[in-house]
Amino acid sequence: MTRTRPLILAALLAGLAPLDAQAQAQTPAALYNDNCSACHRPDGKGVKGAFPALSGNALVQGDPFGVAAVVLKGRNGMPSFKDELTDAQMANVLTYIRTSWGNKASRMHPGLIAAARARTNSAKGAIKAPSN
Amino acid sequence: MSSSHPLAGGLSRRQFIDRLAAVGGVSLAMAGMDALGFGFASAQTTPPKLGSGKTAKVIVLGAGLAGLTAAYELSKAGYAVQVLEARDFAGGRCQTARKGFTHTDLTGAKQTCEFDEGLYLNHGPWRIPYHHGSVLHYTQTLGVPLELMVNDNDAAYVYFKKGSGPLAGKRLRRGELTADVRGQAAELMAKVAGKGDLDASLSAQDRALFVDYLVRDGALSAKDLSYDGAHGRGYLVKPGAGVDPGPGQPGKPYALTDILASGAWKALSDAATYDHPKTMFQAVGGMDMIAKAFVREIGPMIRYSAVVEKISQSPSGVTVAYRDAAGAKLEASADYCVCTIPLSVLSGVALDASAPFKAAMSACAYTPVNKIGLQMKRRFWEENHQIYGGHIHTDFSGVGNISLPSTGWQGRKGVVLGAYAFGGDAARVSALPPAARAALAIRAGQEIFPEYAENVENAFSFCWHLADFNLGGWGNWSPDARKESYPVLCEPDGRLYLAGEHLSYLGGWQAGAIESAWQQIAKIHARVQQA
Repeated sequence: MTRTRPLILAALLAGLAPLDAQAQAQTPAALYNDNCSACHRPDGKGVKGAFPALSGNALVQGDPFGVAAVVLKGRNGMPSFKDELTDAQMANVLTYIRTSWGNKASRMHPGLIAAARARTNSAKGAIKAPSN
Repeated sequence: MSSSHPLAGGLSRRQFIDRLAAVGGVSLAMAGMDALGFGFASAQTTPPKLGSGKTAKVIVLGAGLAGLTAAYELSKAGYAVQVLEARDFAGGRCQTARKGFTHTDLTGAKQTCEFDEGLYLNHGPWRIPYHHGSVLHYTQTLGVPLELMVNDNDAAYVYFKKGSGPLAGKRLRRGELTADVRGQAAELMAKVAGKGDLDASLSAQDRALFVDYLVRDGALSAKDLSYDGAHGRGYLVKPGAGVDPGPGQPGKPYALTDILASGAWKALSDAATYDHPKTMFQAVGGMDMIAKAFVREIGPMIRYSAVVEKISQSPSGVTVAYRDAAGAKLEASADYCVCTIPLSVLSGVALDASAPFKAAMSACAYTPVNKIGLQMKRRFWEENHQIYGGHIHTDFSGVGNISLPSTGWQGRKGVVLGAYAFGGDAARVSALPPAARAALAIRAGQEIFPEYAENVENAFSFCWHLADFNLGGWGNWSPDARKESYPVLCEPDGRLYLAGEHLSYLGGWQAGAIESAWQQIAKIHARVQQA
């Protein structure tokens, strides 16, 4: 890849929104693409044997508290997003996941995420990833 | 760590340090802890002595440092060992990218490293704390030359944009910042201590010694306990020969309030913690020299491109079904199995283990980790900025540290670690194609070094959570999972013994992988003696 010739580079630099600005982009689809799509893929189909498909996923479409707990706490290969997303962002992205790619489940609201946080916050401020 | 011994005068050591932290900030408290002799238990530094006695047949899954360690030590003790490795090279995460190294991640993004001959990026482990005796045991005994890895550099810049005030978004020299925050915190405390307000129970003698310490540590004037900067932070015009520059011209300290508002102080606890000491090492030529050294010893035991699909157990042994490079399904059996496959990957393997064991496996989350290497055609950070190694700390999301190479000093080119990000930041960056990841890193670097973008020749990025056979940078235990699930996995399930950094309190460090393997093979050996 990437013999980063100056011209291509300049184009890339010009065309790329800062990551912080991306994170603040509030549309649910943008939130999904930024935070989730690297592993679960833009089409929600995941990577076989590595990352589960969210499309048609029973857990995703099940108990709102169940899916919220996974995003808050992490599980298997998935990290916790509790410090990455606000209640509103998490509600938006979960609503997107629960209503996209043929999924049909209820919308999520920030209040529900706050309640889920309270449930999972037995260890407050937990899981701070170490650096190596 | 011993419990708090009261200081003369009745203030407990713990209270004393809490006060230091409250008044003077964390770095001062750290210095206080050092001064008061708080120590840390050292880790295991030599392998278990397996000695003679009965042996058995052991299959090791994974040729990362845990697997290589287990295979090397067991075979030395006379065990029959076979290692299955999914990749076509050994090392696990102990990898180094050089010219021609290829990587296709799970999104299908394919990269071939285009660094010039002799240049490399340690996209996995890249630094060895001096107290990781287990790693140093093998670099010494297997003959892996080391060089210092500059983990702290006073000349390196700190660049924090998200704070406020005149120092936000300003390029600050780490040493100046450290001296200023430390000096001004010391000045505050020394003046309070001198008035006897620090704590009535600090004895007069301790108070005097404490002030002496602050004067020295904060580079204060002994006369009026003020911090004026020059001695600690350096000069605006450096001292030199004759009368011009002669004595030079002292630098002017940044105001404490501006430092606090900028957030730049957050960088200063780096290289001031147990995990990140100032003295670190790296393997000369790339970290994978450690893996290669093991392979020199036990190469023929390793079967490459062997992807484990199923692990079955019986009361008398373990059978592992795997697929080779040609897709052929094969099996290998042994008396015991040391499985070093990351839990994120192992959870996708058909595994014959108890329900509680499997439940415990799923309780470990894996940290997304990205690194981006940028080949620079000129070492402008050395030539123009006098920065020889170390880290540029930033608060750019997705970039974090920019680290400068600790090798090839004053040479022509170098590979800069242009970004090192974890967690959600890493997840976001990895959603971009490799060229855009590099562009993001370059854009950040360009804000700090005007020479940055024009010197980039090529880039190589690696996202550990998108790497087949890894699915994450390292295991990350929540406090609850550490308490409830981790101990379950440290014990064998039948004849299956797990090992790796994820089964240590040295998460993500090579020492964790090695010491975990040492513990498990010692258990196997003890069991074999009793069998």
